This record gives sequence, structure tokens and C-alpha cells, in this order.
Amino acid sequence: MSKVNLDFCKELPQVEETGTVIACFQCSACVADCPAAAHSARFNPRDIMLKVLLGLEEGLISEDSVVWDCATCYTCMERCPQGVRPIEVITAVKNVLARKGLLPAEVAAAAENIRNTDRVIVHSEAIDRHRREMGLPAYGIAGKCIKEVVK
Amino acid sequence: MKSYALFLGCLIPMKLPQIELASRSALAKLGVKVEDIEGFSCCPEPWNFKGTDVEAWLKVAGRNLAVAEKKKMDVITLCNGCSASLIEASHLLGDGGEAAAEAAKALSGAGYKYEGKTKAVHAVTVLDRELGRDKVEKSCSRKLDGLKVAVHYGCHLLRPSDVMALDDPFEPTFLDGLVDATGAESVDYAGKMGCCGSAALDKEISLGIARDKVKAMEDAGAQCLVVTCPACFDQFDLGQVEMGRRGGEKHALPVLHYFQLLAIAQGEDPEKLAFSRHKIKVDPLLKAVVR
Repeated sequence: MSKVNLDFCKELPQVEETGTVIACFQCSACVADCPAAAHSARFNPRDIMLKVLLGLEEGLISEDSVVWDCATCYTCMERCPQGVRPIEVITAVKNVLARKGLLPAEVAAAAENIRNTDRVIVHSEAIDRHRREMGLPAYGIAGKCIKEVVK
Repeated sequence: MKSYALFLGCLIPMKLPQIELASRSALAKLGVKVEDIEGFSCCPEPWNFKGTDVEAWLKVAGRNLAVAEKKKMDVITLCNGCSASLIEASHLLGDGGEAAAEAAKALSGAGYKYEGKTKAVHAVTVLDRELGRDKVEKSCSRKLDGLKVAVHYGCHLLRPSDVMALDDPFEPTFLDGLVDATGAESVDYAGKMGCCGSAALDKEISLGIARDKVKAMEDAGAQCLVVTCPACFDQFDLGQVEMGRRGGEKHALPVLHYFQLLAIAQGEDPEKLAFSRHKIKVDPLLKAVVR
């Protein structure tokens, strides 16, 4: 039997209108043009909205969560006739995974690198050399900017 | 014309500097003034970082906007991800919500303030809205007549459309117009407004999405594909190599950022534009247009 978390919706960060999920009437407009749904056997934004509404955490709140198949293209939100923003609900579910320590290793490492170095890419001497050879100005890495505002 | 704070982000200056080189050259020829200012971090990128902590994402983006606002400058980007993070954050920071208040508090604690005066904009938008296609066309001394180009807008340039407010999210025309201004021809193809797939974590899914697009572009007779985002660029350039490596069908459609296409059309010497850094060789394309 599936586990039900009646407070699941309340656990989602509300920064990006995730509360709109309540208006979902399961029409599948979000599925038709979804590139991830076309290439993943398990990814279906309508199904994710239903699971969020009902608090069904199975497949959603786990280390191999289906939400990481999302390509973050916003097509679902543009197609929704109800003004739901499935992409933002999915991002909010990702945040819940982060809080619970269930991030995929590569996502955790990528986010950690940004926090520590202010950049997506790991800095190297080779990067500086290539820029010099191309006549581009030095691109400084402070590594302290993000830590000023995110503790 | 006013001067913009150049927001290079991470992927372009650190991994794809050839795009920066072409962009600086093309913008200068159009009289768009950009300045390198100190203190910007990652935008931060809107999939993994935002997926980890949306509140932190808002604070970091707000800090970047505040850095430019202190200089009384608007921000110009060369990347869909950077423009999406900064434009969306600017919108959210002005909505009076709880997250905006929390972010303002974090900014103020570090001596920053963002009042919403500074706006972020993708450089291609400046070309379309501030300069106009005629000026772009007039800057081109080497017309790319007859070159067939598949335009890939990328998702984050236009969507969410209620916030980005740039063009129709499914039937846009402005970037096609900017490509046509170089003398090249933007060709229509199946699934044109689809995603590049870059942000999907599973490589099979991610590359499957990209492969569908490249195939549709080739079927439409495109000689190259044009993007406005370094993540899309990598996904198609490196991605086509990976597709082949994984035993799939071979594709070799050259990938250009819009400003690389424009720099060629403006008569820049291709030798100086470091196309040798591309995984998919651009030579066939250059042979066709540089005479």
C-alpha cells in the first residue's frame, strides 16, 4: 500500500506559485508536448501533479526520484489551461529532496561547487591561459560572493 | 547609447570563450557598449542550483542585480539561463511576497539593496528592441545569402512567457528576423520550439531530446543551427559527438551562437574567431559563406 503524506503540499516552498497545483484537473495538456515524457518511460507531469496533490511520495521522494528527468522547458506551464505551473511544483519537489538529503550525487556536487566557487565550472589555470591567448580580459573568481548572502 | 554591465556567467567565459570573443566583436560593431564590472557570481543557474534551494537562488540572483544597480546599470547577458534567472528573480523580488522579504533581508545583511531599477536583458533582445533589424543588417558586410539556418530559441529565452514577456512562447519570430538580417535564411523544422534536453539528468533522455531536434533540422536542409545559450550550445555541439559515441546515428550539424553567425556576417576573419574549439567542425559552413 502506498504511503500518504497529507501535509505534502505544505512542505513545498511557495516562492514560485506552487500552490496553484490545487487547480489541476488532470487534463494532460502538460504531457502532450513534454519532451521528457516523450523520452522517459516513467516521466509524466500530470502524474507528478496528482501525486503531489494526494501526498503520494512513492517515486517522488526517493534518491532516484522521477523529477530529475524534467528538462525544465516550461512547456507544461505554458500549456496548462488552469494556470498551474507544474515546472515550479517539480522544482519545489526537488527542494524537498535537497532538505531530506536525497539529492542525486551529481546535483549535490554541482550546487556545492557553485556555493563554494561562485561558478558552475571548476576554475583552472588552463582557462586563464586560453583567455589570455584569445586576447580576452582575465575572469576573476572571487569564491566569496554567494557566501555573502547564502549562509 | 547607454552602457550595459556585461554579465558573462560561467559557461561562456570558462568553457566557450569563442562565443564571448564573437559577441564582444559583434556588439562593438553595432555600437552596443558593454562594461566588465566586478562582483558578479553565477546567475545562479536555474535547474540544479534552483532545484536545490529556490530561496538561495533568489538571494544570489538578487545580489547580482544589486551589484549592477549600485553602478546604475542594466545587465546584458549572452545566455538564456542567466537572463532567465535574473529576469525572473527581478520579477519575484518586486512581488511583495515572503520570499522577496527574506531575500531583501539577506541582501541588506551583506550591505546590498535591490530596488528593481536595474533590469536584465539578453543581448539578442537589445538588437531586436533597441537597435532594430535594419541596423543589424547594415552592420553586415559579408552577406550570408542562401545559408540555411535552423534557429533554436531555447526554452529560457521566452518562457515563462508571462515573466519574460518577449515574444510568443510557441510561435516567436524575433530571432528568425535577426538571422534573416545577416542574409541567411531561417528554415522551419518540426519541433522547432522544443527543448535541447540539457537539463534532464538521465543522458539517454537528454540526448534523445537533442537527437530529435538535430534530425528535424537536417531534414529541413539546415546547414547549421543557431542558439543564444551556452547550455544549448554544449548540448548540441558536444552532444552530437556523444550521440555517435553511444552507437547511435552520426550527426555533424555545425552549431553557432547567434553572435558568432553575426560576427561572420560582419566580415570578421573566421581565423580570429577560434572556431577550432568547436567539437563539430564549422569549416564546411565557412567554406560556403566566406569567399
